[in-house]
Amino acid sequence: MAAIEIKSEITGTVWQVKKQPGDTVEEGDTLIVIESMKMEIPVITEDAGTVKEILVKEKDPVAEGQTVAIVED
Amino acid sequence: MAFEQLMEEYDAQRVRALAMGGPDKLAKRRAAGILNARERLDRLFDGGTFLESGLFGTSAFADDRASTPADGKITGFGRIRGREAAAVANDFTVKGASSSTTNMKKIGHVKRTATERGIPLIFLGESSGARLPDNMGARGMGSMLGLDPHQYLRSRESPWAAAALGLCYGSSTWYCCLADFNVMRKGAILAVSSSLLASLAMNDPVDPEELGGWRVHAEITGLADRVADSDEEAIDAIKTFLGYLPSHSNEPPPVATVPAGSGAQMEGIAALLPESRTQVYDMRKVLRAVVDRDSYFELKARFGKAGVTALARLGGQSVGLIANNPLFKGGALDADACQKITSFIVLCDSYNIPIVMFVDTPGFAIGVEAERKRAPAMIMNFMNALSLVTVPKLTVLVRKSYGQAYINMGGGRNSDEFVAWPTAEVSFMDPNYAVTVVFGLKPGDPGFDDAHAKMQRDSSVYDIASIYAVQDVIAPHHTRDYLIRMLDVHRLRRSNGVGKHLMAAWPTTC
Repeated sequence: MAAIEIKSEITGTVWQVKKQPGDTVEEGDTLIVIESMKMEIPVITEDAGTVKEILVKEKDPVAEGQTVAIVED
Repeated sequence: MAFEQLMEEYDAQRVRALAMGGPDKLAKRRAAGILNARERLDRLFDGGTFLESGLFGTSAFADDRASTPADGKITGFGRIRGREAAAVANDFTVKGASSSTTNMKKIGHVKRTATERGIPLIFLGESSGARLPDNMGARGMGSMLGLDPHQYLRSRESPWAAAALGLCYGSSTWYCCLADFNVMRKGAILAVSSSLLASLAMNDPVDPEELGGWRVHAEITGLADRVADSDEEAIDAIKTFLGYLPSHSNEPPPVATVPAGSGAQMEGIAALLPESRTQVYDMRKVLRAVVDRDSYFELKARFGKAGVTALARLGGQSVGLIANNPLFKGGALDADACQKITSFIVLCDSYNIPIVMFVDTPGFAIGVEAERKRAPAMIMNFMNALSLVTVPKLTVLVRKSYGQAYINMGGGRNSDEFVAWPTAEVSFMDPNYAVTVVFGLKPGDPGFDDAHAKMQRDSSVYDIASIYAVQDVIAPHHTRDYLIRMLDVHRLRRSNGVGKHLMAAWPTTC
């Protein structure tokens, strides 16, 4: 079991939180949607596992490279 | 000595040379599910085709001769799916496959042969670095290092493919970086030097995975083109990669048969795009639908993800796909994505593989982080590479194309054919931003709407088609047929499918 930090690839504002701690996720699942450049940009996990933590809430500003969730594989 | 005795001696010498580092070390690897160097070569080459060169090589130091079968690096030739190739397999059970005088001669020989005779060269990497104490001291350095000024020269006469299959320090790391393709097996470490030496030098413990594990190289450095779960999977990835490439730079890539069912998804391809321009989608689904069935082979999938680079086939012919992926950063290319695309352009152009681009980008990624990662320089490297391409370039504008990214992504005369889907929109920047930048007005300010109308004028696909700045507007479901036909129109007939390779010596190691 390794904790994998899921980072936002882009600066923007949290628009939706799609997954909660305890949720099982597959590779390619969207955890959070960020609004940036007038678009809805998903934050996606590249690894299957279980969501351990969601570190942001709706309307929070996020910076590029910021860790927004932790997934355990 | 009677001939029988000579043959007994010969057989005994062979058995000793083939014993590698001895039964204990080999058993440990087997228990861990890791192939040894000879098993790796068996996996790589067609059955019974391996022709070894240097089986009886050993350390040049008399005391080490008995303990250095094949001197720790097994070299030779074999066939991969019927095609001749050369290989170096590091035998970690013999002195950590460390570099010595004899095994450097072996590598030099197969490398020269691969280059001069036009066959691919494969490095199955797992090595500890320079052999000690052989290399120690001024005399050791002077007699072992730097003797071949072309040792680490890369000019892409024939394809090189490498695998990191264990601890890779020194030469195996260097060859992974110089190779056209590098696959990393999970659990392997690829670094300049070991975590032990790094810990000693920096007086700070270093975790090997943090130093050079697969996640580092797949996601942060981009040095790994693919990641594999096992030795077998890694070696198979090399064979798949080489299947798209010619044996050398002076011939076109091999042509494959087109699998049944190719193009079956074309009718529904437009449905892969969302209705709203503010929503994103996975461009890789579009690419998979267009190319020959099961031929999509993505490189650096976890690195610079706003850009996609993949080898594939269209009508049996190898192509290099370059695309924006709106799923990541909205398709805005960052410095990593630019670097990844640049090195992919070099690969395709060096081996006569036509380039097909799929565009949907709001422009380049901008902001403090982008600038600090040298985005302007990476954008121009990419642009320079695209300008030097001499293989055919076809570009399909799927949705957005804005600003300088329009040019980098094959806009205007930067492709041989530039065509658009009816969903395309082209402009310099988002009209809202343009009004604010030029007139200082924000939405709701008096005069904003008039200014906005001016900025938004003439940005439909038929506006650009009317001045022949795109050569055609094509229906999405015709894309596959269009590209196959256009690749035929643009075939390099006058040079038998061979380009000029103006970037063959470009130092793009990532």
